[in-house]
Amino acid sequence: MAGKAHRLSAEEREQLLPNLRAVGWNELEGRDAIFKQFHFKDFNRAFGFMTRVALQAEKLDHHPEWFNVYNKVHITLSTHECAGLSERDINLASFIEQVAVSMT
Amino acid sequence: MVSKLSQLQTELLAALLESGLSKEALIQALGEPGPYLLPADGPRDKGESCGGGRGELAELPNGLGEARGSEDETDDDGEDFTPPILKELENLSPEEAAHQKAVVETLLQEDPWRVAKMVKSYLQQHNIPQREVVDTTGLNQSHLSQHLNKGTPMKTQKRAALYTWYVRKQREVAQQFTHAGQGGLIEEPTGDELPTKKGRRNRFKWGPASQQILFQAYERQKNPSKEEREALVEECNRAECIQRGVSPSQAQGLGSNLVTEVRVYNWFANRRKEEAFRHKLAMDTYSGPPPGPGPGPTLPAHSSPGLPPPALSPSKVHGVRYGQPATSEGEEVPSSSGGPLVTVSAPLHQVSPTGLEPSHSLLSTEAKLVSATGGPLPPVSTLTALHSLEQTSPGLNQQPQNLIMASLPGVMAIGPGEPASLGPTFTNTGASTLVIGLASTQAQSVPVINSMGSSLTTLQPVQFSQPLHPSYQQPLMPPMQSHVAQSPFMATMAQLQSPHALYSHKPEVAQYTHTGLLPQTMLITDTTNLSALASLTPTKQVFTSDTEASSESGLHTPASQTTTIHIPSQDPAGIQHLQPAHRLSASPTVPSSSLVLYQSSDSNNGHSHLLPSNHSVIETFISTQMASSSQ
Repeated sequence: MAGKAHRLSAEEREQLLPNLRAVGWNELEGRDAIFKQFHFKDFNRAFGFMTRVALQAEKLDHHPEWFNVYNKVHITLSTHECAGLSERDINLASFIEQVAVSMT
Repeated sequence: MVSKLSQLQTELLAALLESGLSKEALIQALGEPGPYLLPADGPRDKGESCGGGRGELAELPNGLGEARGSEDETDDDGEDFTPPILKELENLSPEEAAHQKAVVETLLQEDPWRVAKMVKSYLQQHNIPQREVVDTTGLNQSHLSQHLNKGTPMKTQKRAALYTWYVRKQREVAQQFTHAGQGGLIEEPTGDELPTKKGRRNRFKWGPASQQILFQAYERQKNPSKEEREALVEECNRAECIQRGVSPSQAQGLGSNLVTEVRVYNWFANRRKEEAFRHKLAMDTYSGPPPGPGPGPTLPAHSSPGLPPPALSPSKVHGVRYGQPATSEGEEVPSSSGGPLVTVSAPLHQVSPTGLEPSHSLLSTEAKLVSATGGPLPPVSTLTALHSLEQTSPGLNQQPQNLIMASLPGVMAIGPGEPASLGPTFTNTGASTLVIGLASTQAQSVPVINSMGSSLTTLQPVQFSQPLHPSYQQPLMPPMQSHVAQSPFMATMAQLQSPHALYSHKPEVAQYTHTGLLPQTMLITDTTNLSALASLTPTKQVFTSDTEASSESGLHTPASQTTTIHIPSQDPAGIQHLQPAHRLSASPTVPSSSLVLYQSSDSNNGHSHLLPSNHSVIETFISTQMASSSQ
């Protein structure tokens, strides 16, 4: 199990979320989760991205909620165990950013 | 071999391989003896086998990054893009190698500067020393640095080598982190590129995230217990992993940059020593009854990191001594020629018309300073000036002034002809401006201080050579914390300054945290002069310590600096004067000549009465100063 599943405190959020917000992650209304939309050149890249994220998700044992249509990928991250954001979401989000940057 | 795959298949395979799967493992999972033949079987077959393989692979543990050695050797080949066929089995499948090549090709097509930024940020993110890149790519370190930092052009062949290293490194690091969770690495490619060959491990380096955590902890308690240290270790490693976009549970993947308890212990020990040293320096130069209690002794703005104490001691608290020879010249325009550091407190007198000669050093009208100095008496004229100037209640002004002086390690450098230069403009009466004359200088800058009620005095920039007393930093910190609104930032800045000053350490932390922080500090108008000082300090530091990097720590916003001047000044008009100068000071890294240029432009707005013609002279001085200070 990677990371902890406890809900992030306000302090932790203040510390960790700004970095993600800066790259485009938004907090959802009505739900304690973060969301971002990715856009790729074509389906292949999008799915390649998703594959990488998927493999990492398996590794981290923390999976995203996502939607994909052709070259767009919408990702929502939340932890069901704590019904909100946790460290795992932050970690996965960071990884997703890294992959997205290194791809297209 | 890859040609028969559809693009999606290629993408998926690349994703698989990049996730740490080795070709061998893939082949085994596929259960096919002849992987090389797969493509020949036709896309359909391959697709099937791949599909089947993938299904199996999903359950296989990620293959270990085999044959690091082979990769290393490949790297040794000076980035020979074609891995030896023999190593192919180990070094990623042909698809991966081809994929890598494809990525490199893509990067080569891209705008070199953008890719350079990407690579550079990757190096920063993972705290990879340039040396590692140089060792494996065979590029020239200076050329590489210039290419990454400044965009100096690099030939395609060499860029290809760099990008190849980059691509491989990413894979290595990814694998390293993957394996970290599996109990160790085969070798440590990240930390030690060629273990067998050189047996050298990359030197551990503190990341900005960790440093931030440590500084915060240091503020709370300077001497943490073992438990606390261990907690910090965890926190730092977690932050470092997050910075790299990796799960903290795989901290082992940090390799040579893994934070351990010993390292934390050493960090605290070094910070404590640093503080003691700064305090000691402060005490050394402190002389006479301190006008302002302040956190630290009132020090003339001498501080210069790395300056030998002996150089400082003569300068004494107010540096009046140094200024003496200079001060003897004009009443408020002590000429510093040849004089050592001079602390100049802007006298209230109108100095500008009279004294803006470049050769004039700072005016130290700081009554306190002068009178306080037990040492050599300043020239009578100076004293007169001081006395006459001295009006304000010592209490309030002194302290800030002292602090200002103290905390102006680097503020001193002020463009010639610039009224405001770095010298903090302080509420007057007491001539709040501090101008520090540098010892060797021919001083040109004489702070022109408007005696009017305005707090700002135009100061001619005084160039000071190295001997800026590092102890300034000490007083700087406490005041900053109390006065500066963004105290955490300033505290960090001050702290950054200290280590920077003392250890010639690049305030790289600033790179990650600097945005807007300095401007914020600058904008604190309700604070006392300290804020001005504080903001100025970094600038000055840069000058004297002659590090380019430090300039990044917030000095790159000249505009914001001008604001600082507003803070202490009570006379808006006076502020005007300072602004131009201030702006100038904002470019620490700018070579002295360009500094002068700035000043020139600014001075047009500002005090025209200042001697703009001095620019050229000043330029020379500045150059000299800079040269001398960089000794």
